[in-house]
Amino acid sequence: MISALSMPAVLPDPASFEEVAAAEPQDVASATAFAIWRALQAAQDKDDRRPVALIVTSAFQNERGRLFGWGARQLGLEHDRILLVRARREAEALWAFEETLKSGAVAAALGVLDAPSFVATRRLDFAARAGQAGALVLRAKPCGDLSAARLRWRIGSAPSAVHPLDARAPGPSRLTAELARSRDGKTGFFTLEQDHETGRLRLAAGLADHGLAAGQDNARRVA
Amino acid sequence: MTLHAVNDAAKRFGLRRGQSHADARAIAPGLASAPAEPAEEARALEALALWFERFSPLVAVDGAEGLFLDMTGAAHLFGGEEALLREILVRLEAAGIKACVALADTPGAAWALARYSQRRMSLAPAGGARDAIANLQVEALRLDEAAVRLLARFGLQRIGDLYNLPRAGLARRFRGQEGLALVRRLDQALGVEAEPLTPQRPPPDYRAWQVLAEPIIDRDGVAFALPPLAQALALQLERDGQGARMLALDAFRTDGRVVRLKAGLSAPSRSPAHLLRLLKEKGLETLDLGFGADALMLTALAAEPLAGAQTELAGDVRLAASDNLLAGLIDRLEAKLGEGAVRRPQGVESHLPERSERWLPAGPRPPEPICADPGRPRPLLLFDPPEPVEAIAELPDSAPSRFVWRRAAHRVAKAQGPERLSPEWWRPSPAQGPHRTRDYYAVEDDVGRRFWLFRDGLYNREDLDRPPHWWIHGVWA
Repeated sequence: MISALSMPAVLPDPASFEEVAAAEPQDVASATAFAIWRALQAAQDKDDRRPVALIVTSAFQNERGRLFGWGARQLGLEHDRILLVRARREAEALWAFEETLKSGAVAAALGVLDAPSFVATRRLDFAARAGQAGALVLRAKPCGDLSAARLRWRIGSAPSAVHPLDARAPGPSRLTAELARSRDGKTGFFTLEQDHETGRLRLAAGLADHGLAAGQDNARRVA
Repeated sequence: MTLHAVNDAAKRFGLRRGQSHADARAIAPGLASAPAEPAEEARALEALALWFERFSPLVAVDGAEGLFLDMTGAAHLFGGEEALLREILVRLEAAGIKACVALADTPGAAWALARYSQRRMSLAPAGGARDAIANLQVEALRLDEAAVRLLARFGLQRIGDLYNLPRAGLARRFRGQEGLALVRRLDQALGVEAEPLTPQRPPPDYRAWQVLAEPIIDRDGVAFALPPLAQALALQLERDGQGARMLALDAFRTDGRVVRLKAGLSAPSRSPAHLLRLLKEKGLETLDLGFGADALMLTALAAEPLAGAQTELAGDVRLAASDNLLAGLIDRLEAKLGEGAVRRPQGVESHLPERSERWLPAGPRPPEPICADPGRPRPLLLFDPPEPVEAIAELPDSAPSRFVWRRAAHRVAKAQGPERLSPEWWRPSPAQGPHRTRDYYAVEDDVGRRFWLFRDGLYNREDLDRPPHWWIHGVWA
């Protein structure tokens, strides 16, 4: 089903402002992982060691769980780079998001927002560029409303890859990323897989045989 | 029942404090009375003490109805001692408070003059306390009743009568504690013995002060008056190489109350712009100015050494600069969202997931980790506390094959586990019973969503008082 879709070879470069929506509320963990990965990628490209802020509302934390530092670490986000901002209401979260972005103190900020208005997203875009930070709006549900986000993603969960040792166990995590809208009109559908060595996400090479993309895996296979 | 306080009208009938209520009713049948509220009075007096910080940083509450102000070296700020006393009276009058004021070299003499001189305002010139109180009754020395009665028996009625008596004899005549108390009170009033005051609030080291010609009634007025205050405070801090960690803005209202706005800083700072912004974020409009405030005070309640800015020699210059930006950001967020709204994680020595990290209030520098990675895969989002699930699993210790969480059924396609975590028996056991072992399973349902489930309790070993139960503790990416 998925392999029938076209799969471009590379993901678009990180933009200053992206929207990451979970295809369904239960995919929020996958969406969060994807957003963290995009934020880290952007920071790594620029050799930026500033912290990454996560702005959540109390309601989101109660409903979807709170960030677990050790889990984030396995995605490449170290404890010492995490800044968690908790707001009581969405309006406060929006304010904190904008303030964090334009402060210039963070490499990227992930903000959990349900329904930011178009004007609000425009402001976030400006704030992100002013503070040289990446802005990622994290939404629990996709929505077709207007947004100033340069890239809009829709993230779903996918059955994990085959575990190298135990066929009954979940293997490296996989998720699907649909580029629903972008400024330059490109769309696409990607399947990403968590590298079991680095913990980072990467494009899954194929559905049946994982690991062909990375050279070191090949070497291991031969050895 | 006795009278606790009387107003002017009652005084005209000859009523006085301490009189029994029945007697008072007999003298003045139309007497209106209400039960005394000593606790409320004490609170009002404490509030008034804070308001008096506009005259002196050292204000002490004295008993149930008095205040001491240490005005040493400060009277000239108010146009001299007499002008100061008059200003206090006028301001209290405006706030509807009747008071008597006295200024003297010692707290004891001032106490005596304020209460027993029969005047609203008394002033003992420097070095003149001895003469000023000589004609007052001995009660004015803050003596207890027994001592006063004894003095009356000896015919000693005025404080001046005691001056010429030999001190040793005086102390001996009043045997025990009373004699000592009498001599001590006399010495305190005359300044022979020191009497330290306990201030209501510790006087701050750094404070900037602004009296306004016209009372301000809204936040715009405060915002307008603030910048010079912040500048002044910053100068004081810079002189001593300090930075503020806790900031307070006090507005002195015309009705004799003080309202305060406090803001904490995650790192010491003395940049006026930052201090101003912080107070504005905190919400100047939350200051209840009532009918107006005519003085503002900005204090650094806590200060820490702050060396002049220096970029790190070896470190990343950009990183050092971002530390400052980060401190500013954290302060602004916490001022608006509340204390502890910004946090950073710290790994902690514990294998129980919910205890393996702590979220500490954020500072510009990340907290030092206490332990390393648990070394096992961990989910990205954690439910704390865990949520119960209904699971179907093979006994005694297999992964569940189905489970229901939040009324949605999940069929397990892949599972890994158990990862067995034994309880921390050295900690107090949970309310529902003894500690139990947890078996954690990473499971994936047929759609590809990954959950972290655990079973609390082992079958046949820990299920005596309640059966093992399944919980969800987290979700994976």
